[in-house]
Amino acid sequence: MKIAVLVKQVPGSESPLPLNSDQSWLDGNGISYVMNECDNYAIEEALQIKERNGDGEVVVISLGPERVQKVIREGLAKGADRAIHVQIDSDALADPLIIASLLTEAIRGENFDLIFSGLQSDDLGMGQTGIIVGELLGMSTASLGMATELSDGKIKVKRELEAGFFQWVSMSLPASITIQSGLNTPRYPSLKGIMGAKKKEINVLTPNLENVKQSAKKVYVPQSDKQTVMIEGSVDQVVDKLVETFRNEIKVV
Amino acid sequence: MAQVEFTAIEKTILTIGILTTLGSFIYEIWRRLRVVFKGKQSLPFDRFGARLWRVFREVFLHEKVIRDRFWPGFMHALVFWGFIVFGLVTIEHFALGFGYELMSPKTHKLYSYIVIPFSIFVLIGIGSLTYRRFISRPKALGKISLTSGFVALFISILMITYLLGETNLSPNVWRANWWIHSLIILAFLFLIPRSKHLHLVLAPVNIFFKPFELPDHTPVNIDLEGSEDELDSMLADLTQMTKNQTLDVFSCVECGRCIDVCPANRGGGLLDPKNHFILDLREPLLEKGNVDVLSDINVEAGWECTTCQACTEVCPVGNHVEKSDEIRRLEVLVEGKVPQEYQKLFMNLQESGNTEGRSDSPLAERLPTYTPDKEYVLWLGCFARYELDPNFTKSVENFANILDVAGITYGVLDNEHCSGDPANRLGDKLTYNMLREHNMEQLAHASKVVTLCPHCALNLEKEYAKYSEVNYDVTHHTQVIGQLIEEGRIEVRKGSNGKVTYHDPCNLSRMLDEVDAPRTAITATTDEFFELEESGRNTLCCGAGGGLWWKKETTGRTHLVRAEQVVNSNADTVVTGCNFCYGMMNQGLKPLTPEGRSEIQVKDVADIVSENLVSNSHTK
Amino acid sequence: MDILIVIEDNNTKVHRMGLECITAAQQMAKESGLSIAALVMGSNADGLASQVKNYDINEVLTLKHDLLISYSCDGYAEAVKQVIEQESPKYVLFGHTYQVRDYVPKISAKLMKPFLVDSVSMKSDGEQTIFTKQMFNAKLYSDMIATDEGPLLISFQSAAYSSDNAVSGSASVRDVSVNLEPSMIKTESEEPFQEESGGVDLTSAEIIVSVGRGIGKEENIPMAEDLAKTIGGELASSRPVVDSGWLSATHQIGSSGQSVSPKMYLALGISGAIQHVVGMKGSKNIVAINKDPEAPIFEIADYGVVADVLEILPKLTEALK
Repeated sequence: MKIAVLVKQVPGSESPLPLNSDQSWLDGNGISYVMNECDNYAIEEALQIKERNGDGEVVVISLGPERVQKVIREGLAKGADRAIHVQIDSDALADPLIIASLLTEAIRGENFDLIFSGLQSDDLGMGQTGIIVGELLGMSTASLGMATELSDGKIKVKRELEAGFFQWVSMSLPASITIQSGLNTPRYPSLKGIMGAKKKEINVLTPNLENVKQSAKKVYVPQSDKQTVMIEGSVDQVVDKLVETFRNEIKVV
Repeated sequence: MAQVEFTAIEKTILTIGILTTLGSFIYEIWRRLRVVFKGKQSLPFDRFGARLWRVFREVFLHEKVIRDRFWPGFMHALVFWGFIVFGLVTIEHFALGFGYELMSPKTHKLYSYIVIPFSIFVLIGIGSLTYRRFISRPKALGKISLTSGFVALFISILMITYLLGETNLSPNVWRANWWIHSLIILAFLFLIPRSKHLHLVLAPVNIFFKPFELPDHTPVNIDLEGSEDELDSMLADLTQMTKNQTLDVFSCVECGRCIDVCPANRGGGLLDPKNHFILDLREPLLEKGNVDVLSDINVEAGWECTTCQACTEVCPVGNHVEKSDEIRRLEVLVEGKVPQEYQKLFMNLQESGNTEGRSDSPLAERLPTYTPDKEYVLWLGCFARYELDPNFTKSVENFANILDVAGITYGVLDNEHCSGDPANRLGDKLTYNMLREHNMEQLAHASKVVTLCPHCALNLEKEYAKYSEVNYDVTHHTQVIGQLIEEGRIEVRKGSNGKVTYHDPCNLSRMLDEVDAPRTAITATTDEFFELEESGRNTLCCGAGGGLWWKKETTGRTHLVRAEQVVNSNADTVVTGCNFCYGMMNQGLKPLTPEGRSEIQVKDVADIVSENLVSNSHTK
Repeated sequence: MDILIVIEDNNTKVHRMGLECITAAQQMAKESGLSIAALVMGSNADGLASQVKNYDINEVLTLKHDLLISYSCDGYAEAVKQVIEQESPKYVLFGHTYQVRDYVPKISAKLMKPFLVDSVSMKSDGEQTIFTKQMFNAKLYSDMIATDEGPLLISFQSAAYSSDNAVSGSASVRDVSVNLEPSMIKTESEEPFQEESGGVDLTSAEIIVSVGRGIGKEENIPMAEDLAKTIGGELASSRPVVDSGWLSATHQIGSSGQSVSPKMYLALGISGAIQHVVGMKGSKNIVAINKDPEAPIFEIADYGVVADVLEILPKLTEALK
C-alpha cells in the first residue's frame, strides 16, 4: 500500500502578513510558516492506514521554495517513510492547476494507491489541488473526507455535505481524497521521530514553472468601513426592523 | 513486674515468634529498599544540618501534621508521642519474657507515671481517629481500610493490656495478658511493612531526604546531534523513577491530604494525586522489582495537573507527590500523544518563540530597551507581551512607573522568547531547551532580572540552573516593590479599595518561597487587608498553571474553585502577584458574583501600589 | 454563448446560488453585451428549466442522461466538460457549493483551464476581468486574473451577488446531450444522512444565536434555543454562561472555545470581551443586542440594538415564526 500525502507550508494564523513593495504578493520575510491545518489530518490518516495494514509506505510531498522542507521534515518526523520536494522558488504561485500538474509529473511513476491532501490551504483556500492530481492520474476522487474505510482494493469515504448531512461514497483504488480537519487526532512527532527524520530521504526535483493560468494581480487589506447600524425604537419597532434586516440585508431568512 | 517465670517452651515460642516476625519485617523492608536503591541518582545528603532540623520539626514536633489538619493531626501526635514513650516499655516487656528485669521495680514504677498518662492519650487519640476514619469517613481517606481497622484494634489492645499489666493481676491472668500484648506486637511487626504503616519506619528517613527544591524533577538533556544509542538510553531513562521518588511511594501513609488541596480534584476533575501519582506505582514497583514504572501513571489524570505543588507542600511524610512532569514528558517525547491545543502551543513556541505565534508587541515597543548600563532587565513574559489579558498591560506599565519614581533603570530585551514554562510543565523538553538556550544567550550580559510573572521567574532562576550555570539574579516584581517600601525609597499612602485580600500565586508563594513582600506592599496601601482561607504557602492554585491556561475544554471547574473562594470571602478587591492569577480572577469572578453585588476589583500588586504612590508621576 | 451558468438542483428547486450567478452574469453581460445560457441537468432538468427560463437570459440548456440521475463527481464533471466543449463559452459560472468543490476541479483538469474559486466580487479594470478572492482566513483580499483565453471556470461565494437582483425575462429552452459510459463513473454513493449530533459543531453553522450573561439565568436559555430553532441556527454562548453551568462547554465560543465565522452571528447579552470576540470576529454579519450602550460588542457589530435581550427575544422569535 503506497500512500502519498500532499502537504503545504502556509503562514501561521497569527503570523503577520506584510505585503511586498508593489503589493503583488506577500513579503516572505517576517512571516512565520506552519504546516497547513488540514494536512495534519491527512498525514495522520495515512499513517493510521499504514499502521493498520501492517506494512506500506507513506510518502510526503510538497511544492514550494526551500523553506517547505521544514514541513516535509515534520511529516517525516511523524512517521512518513520518505519525501519528495518539488522545488519552485516562487512565493506567489496561486494557480492550483499548475501546482497540481507539477505535483502530478513528480509522482507519475510512483503508482500510489492513495493520495491524501488537505481539503484546502489556509493561505489561498482554492481547494482543488488534490482533486486535480487525482483526475490527471486517472484516479477516483472525493472531497471533504470526514472518515475513510479501506477494504480490498476499494475505499469508502464519508463526505461532508451542507446543512449537517453526510454521505458515504465508495470507489476503487487508486483514489485521491481531500481530507477535512477533525476526522482523526493528529499525533505529535516523538523525539525518536524527530531524530530519525533527519536521515530519511527527501528527493528534490526542480521543474520549470510555466503556463501559469491564474495569478494574483494585487493583494490588499480589505477596507472595513464597519459602521455599526444602530436599530432604534420601541420593542415592537426594533423587532420589525430586525426581521427586515435578517430578511433583506443579511439574507438569512 | 515480673511476677511470673516463663517456661522454656514459652521462651522458645517467644524466640521463634520474634525471629520470624522480625525476619519478615526486615525482609519486607529490604525488598522495598532494594527497589529504592535501583532508582536513578543518589539520595541527597547536602545541607545535613538543615535536613536533621527538618526531621526534628516535622517528625518529633509533628509540625506539619498538626498545622494542616489540626484535630486529626493532634490526635495522631498523641498516638505518635505515646509510641515513642512506649519504646522502652516494649523492650522491657520482651526482656521479661526471657527472664531479664531491665528496670528495678522502683524505676519501673516511676516510669509508669509517665507511660500511663500517655497510654490514655493514645487511647483518646486512636479512638477519635478511628471514629473519623470509620464513622465520619472523609472523602480523602477513600475506601474503608481493613488494615487500618486492625491497627486501631492492635493499638487499643496494646494500651489496654499495658494498663492491665500495671494493676494487680493474678499470675495466670498476668501471663495471659503478657502474651496477648506480645502477640499483638509481633502481629504488628508482621503488618507494618506490608501496609501504609511502613511510614513508621520510612517517614523520618523520607523527610530527611526530601528535596529542598520545589518542584524537583530531573532535567531532560536532549542532544539532537547525539547518536541513536544515546537517544535510546535517554528515552529509556525517562520511565525510571529516582531513589527519592521510589522511597516516597513506600512512605505514603494514605492520609489523602494531597487530594484535599488539589485544585483539579476540588474542581471535580479526575486527578487524585494520592492514587495517580503515588499508590498506583506501589504494586508495579514490587511486582517488577525495578523502578521502570513511570509509564504506569494515569495519562488523563496527568494532563489535569496544574503543577501547583500543593500536594507536595502538604504531604506529612515528605513526599514530592506531583508527577505530571514525568508522565507528560513520556507522552510528548516518546509517544507523540499530545492534546491538540498543546500541539498548537508547542508549534507556536518553536516557530515564533512565544505562546501566541505572534511577532509584534506594542507593549514592548512602548518600554525602554535594555542596555548593559541599566540596572534591571525587565522580563515581560508572553502573557504581558502578547496581551493574553489586555487589562494586565497597564499593570506592567504601573510597575514601570514605580521603578521610574524610585529612580531605578530598566529595559526590556527585544529578542525575549518565552521562558519556556508551558513547554517545561507540559513535557515538551525539546522545545523547552530550545527556548532556554536562546534566552540564556539574550541574558548573557545581564546581571539582574525582574519580572512580573512568577512562572518566568521560577524558570529563569531555578529551572534553567538545572541545565547550566546561570549568571544573573532574578527577582519578582513584588519583591522589588516590597523592598522599595521597606527602604523608604517610595512612599505609599493608604487608599480606599474597600476590603482588600491577596491571592498568593502558587509559583510565587510555594516555589519561590515569597509570601511577605506582596503583603508588605499591600498593607502599605490599605488598613482593610484580610487573609483568604488557604493563603501563603498553602494557597489554592487559580487553575491556570501547568499549561492549563491554554487548555480549551475544561473538564470540571478547576479554573473556578479559587475564584469562588474569593467571591465568598466578600472582598471588594482581590490583589494578586501573577499575570495568570490576574487573568483567571478576571474570568472567574464575574460569573460567580451573585446578582446585585458589585463587581470585585482585580488588581496586581503593582496596580494597588502605583495607584497609591505619593509622587508627581501620573498613575493609571 | 459567452457565459454558461451551471445551475445546481436544490431538491427540485433552483439552488439560490444559481440565481446569484444569473445576477452576476447579467451584470457582466450588461457591461459587455455578452450572451448568457444556463445549464440544468439530472432527473429534475425539466422542472428546473421551467423555473430558470423565467429569467432574462438567452437560453436554458437541458441535459438528461441515465448516468446523471444522481450526482457523481465523474458523471457531472465529464458531462459539463462536454457541454463546455460543445458550446464554447468564455466564462462558466458556478455557485461555490460543496458539490461544485467536488467536481469542478476535475473539469479544470480535463480541459486544462483555470478554475477561479470562491469569488466575492467581479470587476473590470479596462484590460481584463478581475475576480476578487479572500485569502489568509479572510485577512487579505486578492484580485485574481486569468492569463488564458478561456473558457474560464468561475465560482461565486454565497451572497456575493443577490438572487433578488436577478432580472426576470424569458429564455428559450434547448436540449443538449453528452456521451457517458458507465465505466467513466468511478464512485458509488449511498443516501445522504444526518447524524445524532453529540457535540455541537458550530464552525459549520450558517447562523449562530449566541447568549452571554445578559440572558440573566439558566431558565431563560430555552428562549434563545427557540429563536435558534426558528431561525435555523445553532445555539452558542460566551464563556461565563458555560462557567455558570447553564450550557455545556461544547457551546462555548471564544479563545478557549470554538472559533466561528457564520453568515450571521446574533450576540444576545454578550458584552464583547476580547476572549469572546476573538472567536467570532470573522462572522460576516454581527447583530448585537445588549442593554449597555458602551458594551465593546458594538464596536465590531454590523447592527446593534441597545435594549434588554429578555424583552426583544420572545417577540423576535414570534415575528420570525
